[in-house]
Amino acid sequence: MGDTFSMVAEGVSLALTWQSLLAIVLGVAAGQILGAIPGLTASMAVALLIPYSFYFDPWVGIPMLLGMFKGSLFGSSTTAILIRTPGTPAASATVLDGYPLAQQGKGAKAIKMALYASVFGDTFSDVCLIFFASLLAMVALKFGPAEYTLLIILALGSLGMLSSRPAWKGLVATLAGVIIGMIGLDPMAGTERLTFGNLELEEGIGLIPMLIGFLAVSEVFRQMSGSVQDLSAKAIRYSEKPEDNRVSLAEFVACLPTLFRSSAIGTAIGAMPGLGSTVAAFIAYGEARRASKNPEEFGKGSLEGVAAPEAANNAVSGANLIPLLAFGIPGDIAAALILSALMVQGVTVGPLAFSQNPLPLYAIYAALILANLVNLALGFGLVKIAAVAFSVPRRLLLASVLVIAAAGSYALRGSVFDIQLVFLFGIFGYLMMRFGFPPVPLLIGFILMPLLEENLRTVLLLASTYDEHLFFVFKRPAFLALMALMGTAICLVAWRRRRRALAARPDA
Amino acid sequence: MRIFSKLIGGALLAATLSSGVLAAGYPDKPITLICPYSAGGGGDTASRMIAKLAGDMMGVQINVENKTGGGATIGISAVANAKPDGYTIGFISTSPITIRPHMMDAPYNPIEDLTYIGQFVASSQPLIVRADSSYKTLDDVIAYARENPGKLRWSTSVQRGGPHVAVEAMFKSEGVDATFVPFKGGSKVLAALLGGTIEMAMISEGNKATLDGQTRILAEGTPNKNPVAPDAPVLTEKGYPIAPAIFFGLAAPKGLPAEVIAKWDEVLPKVIASPEFQQLAEARKWTVDHADHAAFTKIVESDYAAAKKAIADIGMK
Repeated sequence: MGDTFSMVAEGVSLALTWQSLLAIVLGVAAGQILGAIPGLTASMAVALLIPYSFYFDPWVGIPMLLGMFKGSLFGSSTTAILIRTPGTPAASATVLDGYPLAQQGKGAKAIKMALYASVFGDTFSDVCLIFFASLLAMVALKFGPAEYTLLIILALGSLGMLSSRPAWKGLVATLAGVIIGMIGLDPMAGTERLTFGNLELEEGIGLIPMLIGFLAVSEVFRQMSGSVQDLSAKAIRYSEKPEDNRVSLAEFVACLPTLFRSSAIGTAIGAMPGLGSTVAAFIAYGEARRASKNPEEFGKGSLEGVAAPEAANNAVSGANLIPLLAFGIPGDIAAALILSALMVQGVTVGPLAFSQNPLPLYAIYAALILANLVNLALGFGLVKIAAVAFSVPRRLLLASVLVIAAAGSYALRGSVFDIQLVFLFGIFGYLMMRFGFPPVPLLIGFILMPLLEENLRTVLLLASTYDEHLFFVFKRPAFLALMALMGTAICLVAWRRRRRALAARPDA
Repeated sequence: MRIFSKLIGGALLAATLSSGVLAAGYPDKPITLICPYSAGGGGDTASRMIAKLAGDMMGVQINVENKTGGGATIGISAVANAKPDGYTIGFISTSPITIRPHMMDAPYNPIEDLTYIGQFVASSQPLIVRADSSYKTLDDVIAYARENPGKLRWSTSVQRGGPHVAVEAMFKSEGVDATFVPFKGGSKVLAALLGGTIEMAMISEGNKATLDGQTRILAEGTPNKNPVAPDAPVLTEKGYPIAPAIFFGLAAPKGLPAEVIAKWDEVLPKVIASPEFQQLAEARKWTVDHADHAAFTKIVESDYAAAKKAIADIGMK
């Protein structure tokens, strides 16, 4: 026991030098700024840095990387909130309530909520990682295509296509998203689909150009169609009232259930390689609305609507390390990069690392927690910088957003085609807005439906190899557990609705 | 002004040509290295490492440009269409060179449009099962597949890549049927294998997983012996049609000057012998294996022909 303690202390001390602290500060700062620039991601920066990481001490390089990833997830939400431009796809659900809040002059409040939620989600998943990594990874490994399919159906159910007033418009938007998502290689046969022989379309429509065009550029077009006098006005107004620029303790406490639920959703999804942070953010958003006391506020500037996706997408990033540390399986590109940086530095991870050489693991844990604190501290600085940066006149901001949108989408893979896509989706998004089609169903169709298709078709393929055919899913304990969980949730909702309905009746 | 600069340019050109500096002078300006894979992946890391080390050795900047899409064919087609002066080169790997062109309308002909500068990594592709699996040898797997047509579930990191073709060709020559379950990337395949969704995989991640005690290696899908399990048979040793080299290499447009080829034949072995590259390769579990222009061209040509036949036999499209 005393031995374990001294090991932990020794490991932690590796990451508690002034050099590594400085590295974390630099990493978080760089991450927040990179995250805020659409198209530039922490992953790209890390990829560029890896050839140079030989020249760093391991416990400078690795903490810096971890800090960078954490910083970028928060950074990307600032632009999502202020100018409707998600810095990374994971922040696209944050737009839904963050941007309406900014329009009401409550931009600073929304960003601060995003910051608290990000740090909360990060810390929650890091604690899960530290104490339950092996257990969580073992459970997560039992989740295969059958369980993923069920989870995505659950997500679609809770996000609901019913959110839009004329239901047919929601349906049309969903279908448009599905069709756009279908472009590219068929997930099972690998043959081209809806590409019209165009090589650029073979890998499908990129998430980043689509999101930037659809959300940010369309909004620029909308504002450009306003009156000319407006153009010289400040782009983003901040309310004079102090309570609109901060998150009060009462507001934070009111969001706590959402924060816990969203962090748990994010951690669970992050532990499973295959779904990712954008999906987690949307699922958490849908669940928050379902469970909220004020579901009608969602989409119009609900604080919970900012807290839920932000907590969830950050929780994913911590939880992606769970399968990495337990089995050597990176859950996403960020975890894959951390894995290669660790390996370059001679640090091995995987099932044997826990027993053979746990010291680096303790150092990683310490660096993770430290990075969360730094992220919180520097985040306040970013709120101030963003407030200044975006208080330029609207005519300058609108032009800048267009330039950033084009440059950011080009930077991603050096493709002029992606710039064309950005503007195409800008026009498309503007037309949808003009004719009153809701954006959320389209995003859901585009992001979730391809995943549903891929997993559902894998299940059908797998079914052909079992004697019991499709009923093989009922032999999977994880599937049964998930079914039970969903059944309970549906019953609870029905019961609560019934009670509410009864309470609403005067004679009850 | 324009005329003036043209005159100077002409004079310089004449000077270099007449003194024969051109040959000894490569490279005398920055080189662009097109990487057809996105930032962060294995191909990108390798490209950047080569760019940095070779650039330092040759005293010029080598800029890596990621041009992705079309299953790496867009980036490679940009290389094929560049000027063959040695200042635009590209990173290449197996699939878009020796495999995919047989199944698609690729925008280049790998044999006619490219010069192969050199190979620097030949990665291993072990055929693995879970450590607790009842399959102890490759023959056990074949026997199971023969008795249970279509019941064996397996995967590789890329659908219709080299390992996929190699294993399908093996099943075809045995006359057995198995079910290929596509996943996106080696780590998802490993998760599916360990989680029990599939029974067998051919992924480079299998070497580390075997060292970790999670999996067992039954065979090797590339021409070299498996570094972790040297006793495991190479597919062609068992008499199966193909075990394509899974390589990382450099290529340039067709018609590359001989002095440029000679320069890279001199620099590339030094680059990959450097401690930095060795350390990276060790970390990523790459097998460093240099082949110069002549040898690499031969590897590509013979694998291209073998894959063409195998793919036609299997009837893969």
